[in-house]
Amino acid sequence: MDTAAILPTRSNHAPLASALSLLAPGAGQFFIKQRMRGAAILLTTLAVAYLIYWADDNFRIGQTVLAGVTTNWLWLALACFWLWNIFDAYRHARGLLSYSVIGFLIPLFIVYAIGWQVTDAKLERLVTRASDAQTVFTAILHPDLFTTDDQGNVKPSENFGDIIGKIVDGPAPAILVQTGVVRADSTFPNLVTGKLIETIALGLMATIFSVVFAVPLSFFAAHNITSRMPGGTIIYYAMRTFLNIVRAIDTVIWGLVIIVWVGLGPFAGMIALLIHSTAALGKLYSEEVEHIDAGPIEAVTASGANLLQVIRYAVVPQIVPPFLAYTLLRWDINMRSATIVGFVAGGGIGFFVLETIRKGGYEQYAAALWAVAIVIISVDYVSAKWRERILIGDTQVKLITPQPFYKSPRQILYLVFGLLVFVVGWNLTQIDLKKLLDPGPTFGRLVSDFVSIDLTPSLVETVWKQMLLTIFQALIATTLGGLMAIPFSFLAARNLTGRSVLSIWIYYITRGLFNILRSIEALLYVAIFVFWVGIGPFAGALALAVTTFALIGKLFSEAIENIDAGPMEAITATGANTLQTIAYAILPQIIPPFVSYAIYQWDINVRIATIVGFAGGGGIGLLLLQYSGQLQYHKVGTVVAMIVVTVALMDFASAKIRERMV
Amino acid sequence: MLRVEHLSKVYPNGTVALKDVSFSVQDGEFLAVIGLSGSGKSTLLRCINRLIEPTSGKIFWNDIDVTAAPSSELRMIRRQIGMVFQQFNLVKRSPVITNVLSGRLGYVNPAQSLFNYFSPADRERALNNLDRLGLRDKAYVRADSLSGGQQQRVGIARALMQEPKLILADEPVASLDPVLSHSIMKYLEQLNKEDKITVLCSLHFLDLVHRYATRAIALKDGQLVFEGLPKAIDDAQFKAIYGQEAERVSII
Repeated sequence: MDTAAILPTRSNHAPLASALSLLAPGAGQFFIKQRMRGAAILLTTLAVAYLIYWADDNFRIGQTVLAGVTTNWLWLALACFWLWNIFDAYRHARGLLSYSVIGFLIPLFIVYAIGWQVTDAKLERLVTRASDAQTVFTAILHPDLFTTDDQGNVKPSENFGDIIGKIVDGPAPAILVQTGVVRADSTFPNLVTGKLIETIALGLMATIFSVVFAVPLSFFAAHNITSRMPGGTIIYYAMRTFLNIVRAIDTVIWGLVIIVWVGLGPFAGMIALLIHSTAALGKLYSEEVEHIDAGPIEAVTASGANLLQVIRYAVVPQIVPPFLAYTLLRWDINMRSATIVGFVAGGGIGFFVLETIRKGGYEQYAAALWAVAIVIISVDYVSAKWRERILIGDTQVKLITPQPFYKSPRQILYLVFGLLVFVVGWNLTQIDLKKLLDPGPTFGRLVSDFVSIDLTPSLVETVWKQMLLTIFQALIATTLGGLMAIPFSFLAARNLTGRSVLSIWIYYITRGLFNILRSIEALLYVAIFVFWVGIGPFAGALALAVTTFALIGKLFSEAIENIDAGPMEAITATGANTLQTIAYAILPQIIPPFVSYAIYQWDINVRIATIVGFAGGGGIGLLLLQYSGQLQYHKVGTVVAMIVVTVALMDFASAKIRERMV
Repeated sequence: MLRVEHLSKVYPNGTVALKDVSFSVQDGEFLAVIGLSGSGKSTLLRCINRLIEPTSGKIFWNDIDVTAAPSSELRMIRRQIGMVFQQFNLVKRSPVITNVLSGRLGYVNPAQSLFNYFSPADRERALNNLDRLGLRDKAYVRADSLSGGQQQRVGIARALMQEPKLILADEPVASLDPVLSHSIMKYLEQLNKEDKITVLCSLHFLDLVHRYATRAIALKDGQLVFEGLPKAIDDAQFKAIYGQEAERVSII
């Protein structure tokens, strides 16, 4: 806002500058050597003009009939921006303060006007159709977990068994019959595990296997390692690109490809999780490898150690703690993904949710949501505590001499337990390596279709339309969720609450609300909003808004907790009133992090928005579901390529913008 | 003139920060407040403009009872009293000029100030004050891009915007190196001598007290243990203030 006043030069170029800006937006600013500003104005004009044209062409947004001519009122808004740009060039050339805010608000207004209509955002439906939503909310408060039998005893319901597990009478296991423990014809209580347990197994097995694959891969994606190999630079860039592309494709989308390979089921879900997780871990690990401190390596080598000893005493101690910490973080993320991968791949609670929604079993669906929330909150807690312990480390070095693990009963117990979990997980995931070698007959053709991306202009245009829609959907979701989060984040900030018993309660309730809402993936929420506001992009946007609300609320409240009290004290001491203190000491401290988090969240939401279509949330996911359903994998390839490129560009842009803000 | 009478402060957790402290400051004085960390220096300074509410006792600023002033009157008193902080307390993300202008908030129209509007006269005043502290060319950079000494000068420029009669300086040089310390103290001395602004400044180092203060008071465990001329602090006084174990150190 004050930048204009830096210019002490008062030139008489003002008329010329404004004339140039009249001809081409930004040209005047460019002429008076405000090159960045000029370029930004030109690019904004072009981008906004394209969006207006696109929205008009595809959705007839903004069309009005003026004096018998069909036109678009959004062009008028763009004309205002053009006028502002002329005015701005004039003010700048004269070295006067200009009103950048206006130049910022007009394009923003146009973008929202388009985004709002493209995503079919009809907020009034939240009220007018509230009675419909009541069914779902009643169900959420009465999840189908327990029933009361004739005698009035409360016992787990049928649905409880489907989710958690149940005991079913069936034939006795062969080993018990052969050893004569039970008779062959007697019934035997068998444990049938529920979908929730299957989900936990999926997340766990995918994490274990992805570590196995990611560790070796990471060394080939680390600059300090590849630089010592012949052709290292090529290996490095090839590996980095490979990991980035694989990572950019969501787990659920990987599921679409994997089902063609191994068929529907938990095994397909596990592989989809494994692929995405390996790429993500590989990148994180490689960054840790790159950060290895060369000092200890030098020191241990200098002591006369051999290569293996150097690795054991100088490299391993440096990378194991961060590797473990990242693995635990990934485990948390994999558990979350495992709850939704079933939507396409089968297996896990996602598949169960899909089925119950189809049948309209909202109480069963609600039970699944609660079960997921409990599991994910626990995983989140355990993973965070464990990571904290690893990264802080044991400051107290134990004085007892360490024993080999096989001499410690405790260690043996851990080992046996670990093995048991692994075997059970293996069985629940229905891992069948033979399937990997024996894919379906059409697999080869579908994969070659998928890789040979179809670039027919009409197809690309269709895909691009849905991609833009998805970006707008994410924008509307971020805005709605973010706006909702602002008041709540103040309630969840420890430095503002905590003086009275009531405010402590408010703090814990708000934090709890954030944590519960955050634990459930947006895809699982879509069903609620499809019922509430109808199928389509708005339902998807609202589902995203819920997770955004929780995630951003937590980040905002942390930003508020980080406020430096010093400036508040200083502004108060000048005799400023409360509002002035807020405007001059608090807002400058929280607005930049708030905006930065919102942009970051938008970036994340675009990724998630690509899959909300699988549950009726509209956007590019819907297209993906259609094409894969019709086995048109060349089109699936186009969609996936579009997503990868868009996500990469958004990533890059959002990182650049945030860098400048902080 | 500032008069402090029987001032006490007990924090909610039971810590007694000030115990029955009385003294007065004449207009034009440069009064140093000395004492160990935790002796109550910061609490004393903050009680004077009621950033901290005193538990008991009275403070009179030009015969107006600060302790009894309702909030609107308190703001009128505060704007006559500039304050400079150990940690500078600038809004780091805001430009220097905005930080300096915020010292004017007690004077301007509150509604306009919410939209970052300041009159051209106030902007001119801000630039002049920055000029005086040798920072005019830094007016439009972000505050956190400045060095510590420069940030403290911005802090002083902000206080000057209030056209203060009194400046409270809470360990203004404790976060700075010795050379910068003298530079900042010289600015405060200049304001005291040329602008006749009364200065009440808490300090760690005795040689700074000898060099700049016209009078000194000392606090120990919240009580006033010394009041007089800086040169009157002899070895016996020194040990009374800082404890038997203490030894004199000096900066440069």
